[in-house]
Amino acid sequence: MTLRFSTILMLILVWSFSQLVCAQEPMSPNWDAQKIKGVRQLPYPSYTGLPFLTNEWRPGKVEFTNGEISDSLFVRYSSYKDELIYYNKIAAAQINIDKASINGFEFTDVDGRTRTFRKQHFDDYLKGDRYFEILSSGEISLLAYRKVGLNTTPAYHDVSGILKNMVYDLNYQFYFYSQEKGYSLVRISQSGLLAKFDKTQQRPIKKLLRKNRIKIDGENSFILAWKAIEKEGYKVLF
Amino acid sequence: MIIAISGNAQEKTSIGFFTDRDAYVSGEIVLAKIYNPSDNASRIVYIDLVNSAGTRISGASIEIKNKEANGFLQLPDSLSTGIYLLRAYSKNTVAKLKIIREIWISNRFNGLENTKQLKHISELQTIQEENTSEINIEGIDSSYPTNSNTIANIKIDDSLLKEIDGNLLVSVAQINPSFESASYKWSSDQEKDGLVEKKGIILSGTVTDKKNLAPASGATVYMTIPDSLPGFQYYQTQTDGRFYFKLDKYYGSVQAFIQCYGNSPDQRLKINMDELFAEPGDLPEFSQQPISEEFKNNTAINIDAVTFQKVFGQEKLKFQAPSKEKFDLYPYYGKPTNIIDPHLFIDLPNFTEISRELLPGVKFRNYNNEPSMQVMNAQARDYFDETPLILIDGTPVRNLNVIKDMGTQDIKRVEICQSERYYGNLRFPGIVAIYTTKSDYSRIPDSDQFVRLKLEAIQIQAKLAEPEKSEPDVPDLRQTFYWNPSVEPQETLAVNFSTSSILGKFKVVVRGRLKSGTMILAEKQFEVK
Repeated sequence: MTLRFSTILMLILVWSFSQLVCAQEPMSPNWDAQKIKGVRQLPYPSYTGLPFLTNEWRPGKVEFTNGEISDSLFVRYSSYKDELIYYNKIAAAQINIDKASINGFEFTDVDGRTRTFRKQHFDDYLKGDRYFEILSSGEISLLAYRKVGLNTTPAYHDVSGILKNMVYDLNYQFYFYSQEKGYSLVRISQSGLLAKFDKTQQRPIKKLLRKNRIKIDGENSFILAWKAIEKEGYKVLF
Repeated sequence: MIIAISGNAQEKTSIGFFTDRDAYVSGEIVLAKIYNPSDNASRIVYIDLVNSAGTRISGASIEIKNKEANGFLQLPDSLSTGIYLLRAYSKNTVAKLKIIREIWISNRFNGLENTKQLKHISELQTIQEENTSEINIEGIDSSYPTNSNTIANIKIDDSLLKEIDGNLLVSVAQINPSFESASYKWSSDQEKDGLVEKKGIILSGTVTDKKNLAPASGATVYMTIPDSLPGFQYYQTQTDGRFYFKLDKYYGSVQAFIQCYGNSPDQRLKINMDELFAEPGDLPEFSQQPISEEFKNNTAINIDAVTFQKVFGQEKLKFQAPSKEKFDLYPYYGKPTNIIDPHLFIDLPNFTEISRELLPGVKFRNYNNEPSMQVMNAQARDYFDETPLILIDGTPVRNLNVIKDMGTQDIKRVEICQSERYYGNLRFPGIVAIYTTKSDYSRIPDSDQFVRLKLEAIQIQAKLAEPEKSEPDVPDLRQTFYWNPSVEPQETLAVNFSTSSILGKFKVVVRGRLKSGTMILAEKQFEVK
């Protein structure tokens, strides 16, 4: 009897709360929704390699230039065209979000890592706005431009047996970036990193890396090495 | 009908509504300060003016900052002499709570000629203020000559300083002992509370089907705000036919166009906009008292002063430009593929010729007087089958007859988007945006599906203008010498003001709110002889 009474009471409470909520907010999915601007994404030609940074749609958050933030989107970064694409369920369309309307975005990768991208103007060769992944943020940031190029290759047959001669090739570029001094291209290797410092500083930096047991053999170790060097106050030559 | 009048002399009210003076002349500006309830999440508080017959005259929507709102209300020139009510409320609590304040307005042209009695709200308990001795107004003599500079030193006890919540209101203005107004709480069960306007003003309305007058479900409602970069919002109605738009980044006078389209082209719809301000509803009871000679004399002086200020264009307020919001680089339809200025080419008589000769990827035909338009999809290298989104000065139009006669002389520029564009869930198979030379929106046909609105968005902040010193021959006829509704509480505050050529009784008033919710008050009277 007590259980029945408490269930009824619970139902009444739930009902009255829902009435309260209904009275306060218009019940519509399009109320207050971020109206994202973009153009329909047409499929890229199919070649060996991947034109996207991630194979799947990833949950992400986009910050727009007008200050609005959308945090419930499924997004995919096109490394081939340097564009952010989201899937609009209602329109059943993949949409390239206007680059001019975005400040930056982030998404959670398959391994649970949050990957953060920022739109910045690139004033070197091929000037324009680009999305850079922020590998390390500070007075001098370490940025990655996750570019994929479409290059010619010896002819091959794809999985459907069609003869092709193009592939999507990774062409990632890494930069040190300072707001005052701009961009400085860096190779992901120990020698590439050391080349960014004054000759007199290279020996102590090597020593520092040895002391921290950092052997640069890829992006992750490079980021660790840079963070250790930055902490010691060594300045990058631009 | 149940009218609940709340308000208890003992109750800690935590709200307040104050004006610079109690008696005005038509055509003047009322300065107002509102201490909002601390638990209200709304960003907007409305003030409006209602006459004693229950007709709303004018209103303003003011931004709330730190639970306080500072604004003004322009009184129309044509107001007849009598008692008026100023009301302050937020939409989400409009039924539960309105703060009303009575003010007297004398018509600038008739004065008190036909007025025998003064009206006052009766049988209501006022929102109480506590006179505090912990605020001392020093340096004020009992009388001053006209046009003299004065400094009032306001000293606040340390113990009180810790208790003050928010900013103080400091004012020095004329008083009329025969008419002193107060603020009251007012609630009514005839109205319903609205939405919480957390971000800004919400415009709302209902779309109905003209055939059966039922709410139209699934209709798409557009709101366009013409500007250099037109603002655009849309809403798709549900079963209740309701729609809502936010006006969160607009200040001052705004023109807005609301239009709706049904699921099929032959569906005839009607837009019914909701009132931005609350219904006047029921009014409190008024009592009457005879007009004193002193009141008559003061009113006559004030009418002359206001008329003089009007004639010489003396402004009471100085407006402060709103802080620049983050803005978009491109219109809502994105970066155009092409921008064409027809004036750079030979004169063409109609849009068929313009599209044929000047507009790349735009096919406009007018066979058998049935115009059609298609835009090239540059990515797919083919024309879209559907009609593109056509905009005239940023406002969508579906009737191609509107543009068919537009020639070079009518068009300033044409922007074309040769792609399948999306704005939220709306799909546009190409866009042709025509900006006219006149920019007067006269080409857009009126219908029940199209509403032109001229409304006041969030009020632009203003402060009391300094007296004009550059022209010494022009007399200074200010009745309000000082008005600062956002004074940061400090141990000592210096208030500099100068008296004007107006004679009479004036008061230095300091008002504030304590963390406990109590409204506090300190005042000192002086005379200008």
